[in-house]
Amino acid sequence: MTGLGTAVREFLLAFADDEHLMGQQHTEWIGVAPFLEEDLAFSSIAQDELGHAAALYAIVAGDGDPVDDDLRIDELAFRPSPGDWRSAQLVEVAAGDWAHALVRHWLYDAAEQLRWEQVAQSSLAPLAEAAARAEREERYHRRHADGLLDVLLPVPDSGERLQTALADLLPLAVGLFDPVAGEVEAVANGVASAPFDTRLDEWTDRVRRRFDVDPSQIQPAPPTGRLERHPDFGPMLVRMREVMDLDPAAVW
Amino acid sequence: MGRTWTSMDDFEAFLDGGGIVEVDDDMPDAYRQAVFAFIEMHANSELMGGLTERDWIPRTPGLRHKMAVLAKTQDEIGHAHLLYMVGADMDIKTRREIIEDLFAGRSKFHNVFHYQAKTWGDQVAISFLVDAAALASQQAVFKNCSYGPYRRILKRIISEEGFHMRMGEERMLRIADGTEVQRTMFQQSLDDWWWPSLQLFGPDSKPGDVLLRWHIKSERNEVLRARWVQKFVPLLMSYGFSVPDPGLTHDPATDSWTSGPIDWEPLKRTMAMRGPDSARRIADAAANWADTHWVRRVLDNAPARAAGVAA
Repeated sequence: MTGLGTAVREFLLAFADDEHLMGQQHTEWIGVAPFLEEDLAFSSIAQDELGHAAALYAIVAGDGDPVDDDLRIDELAFRPSPGDWRSAQLVEVAAGDWAHALVRHWLYDAAEQLRWEQVAQSSLAPLAEAAARAEREERYHRRHADGLLDVLLPVPDSGERLQTALADLLPLAVGLFDPVAGEVEAVANGVASAPFDTRLDEWTDRVRRRFDVDPSQIQPAPPTGRLERHPDFGPMLVRMREVMDLDPAAVW
Repeated sequence: MGRTWTSMDDFEAFLDGGGIVEVDDDMPDAYRQAVFAFIEMHANSELMGGLTERDWIPRTPGLRHKMAVLAKTQDEIGHAHLLYMVGADMDIKTRREIIEDLFAGRSKFHNVFHYQAKTWGDQVAISFLVDAAALASQQAVFKNCSYGPYRRILKRIISEEGFHMRMGEERMLRIADGTEVQRTMFQQSLDDWWWPSLQLFGPDSKPGDVLLRWHIKSERNEVLRARWVQKFVPLLMSYGFSVPDPGLTHDPATDSWTSGPIDWEPLKRTMAMRGPDSARRIADAAANWADTHWVRRVLDNAPARAAGVAA
C-alpha cells in the first residue's frame, strides 16, 4: 500500500477521535466513582481506549506505517480547530453523573466491538493488528459494564436513573453509525469490510435486549456527518489543550 | 487463632528479635491501634493524593503522556485499595467506615494533600518531590516493619513508587531543559511545594516513639528528612532552580546541605483540617461519595453472585 490517501485518513481519524474522547471522558472518573474498584476499572478502560486512539493516530501520522513519535501523534490527537475533529457527539457530551457514564460505556463498547470487526480483516495490516489487540481488551470492558447493569437495572431506583441516562444518550449513540467521510473509499479498497451502518440493526437489537426498550422509540439525532460538535466539546478541547497552549514551543 | 504473648515485655522481646506479627495473632491492643492508625493514614493519603492529581489528568499535554499519568494515579488509588483491606482486616473499622470517616473530616491524611495542585508544574512537583519523600518514608517502614500484612503490601507499593519517582524526574528534566515559560512555572511549584514536602517527614521523632519501639518505623523522622534535603538541594540547583529556604546552609568539608529553621505551624494546621485546601478537598470528596450512594446501596443488597463487584 502506498500511502493512505485523504479519504482513508479521514475514515481512520473519525475512529481515532472517538477512541480518544471516550478515553478522555473515562479519565474523569478516577477517584470519584462509586467505590475504589470502579475507580480502578474506569481508569484501566480509559487507558485501553487512549491506547487504541494512539495506535490509530500512529497509523495516520505514518501514512499507513505506524510511527512511534509522540509529537507526531499529538499533532493529530490535539487538533486545535473543533471543525477539524470527526468525533461522534456521544463521546463529546459531558456525563452528568455515573449513570450516564456507565450507560455510555456500555453503548459505546457495544458499537466498538462491531466497529473493530469491520476492520479485523483490513487490507491495512497495522489496522488489522490493532483490531485483534483491541478485541482482547474489549471483552473485559463489555463484561465490566454488563456485570454492573445486571445488578443495577432490575432495581427500581437505579434502573430509573439508568433508563433516564439511556433516553438522553441513545439519540447521540446512534450517531456513531453515521457514515463518515472516506468510508466509501475505505470499503472500496478493503480497509474496512462494509459501511458501519450495516451493523446498526445488530447494535439496536443488543440495546433492546439489554435495556428492554422499543427500538422504534430510538430517534437518532439528525445526521451531521460528524461535522458539528456537541456544545460540550468546546470546553473539553480547551481543557485538553490547556497546558500545551501555555507555550507552543514547549515539550512536556 | 494465632500466637499469644503473656505480657507487653514478652511481646516487645518478640518484636526486638525480628518477630513478624500476623493478623490472627493476639497482639496487644495498643499495638493494634497504633498499627491501624498508621495504615489508615497511609491509605487515606494514597487516596487523597490520587484526588489531588486527578484534576490535571484530563489536561495532560500529550496522548501517551496522558496514559502514563493515568496509570500512575491508578497505582495510587490501587495502593489505597490494598491498604484499606489490610486496615479493615484488623477489625477496628470496616473499609466503608474508614472511607466515610475520611470524607467526614474525622481522620487524617498527609499534609501535602491539604494543598491544591494549581498548575501542571505542581503536578510534576508532586510526582518528583512528594513521591520521593513518601517513598523514603515507606522504604524506612518496609525495612523493619513488624506487621506482616503491611510489610508485604509495602513491597509492592515501593516498587511502583520507584517508577513514579523516575517518571517525575524525567518530566522534571524535560521542563528543566525547556522554555522560559516551563522553567518559571516549575520554579513557582518548587516555591509552593518545597516546604510541605519537607514537612511531610514530620517533626523530630520523640524519644519514646512507640512506632520506633514496635518496629513500625525503622528510622527517625529527622534522619529521613535530612537525607531528602541532601539529595534534592544539589539536584535542583544543578538544573538552575532555587530552593526557597533562606536558612539553607552548605558545609564544604562534607559537601552536605542542611535546611534552615522549620516552621511547623503549617503542618499542625493541616493535621487539624485547617490546611489551605482542606475544607474544599473534603467537601468535594464527600459530595462525590454522596452522589454515588445509589450504586453502593443497590450493590450492598445484591445477591451473592454480584458480591464480587461490591465495595
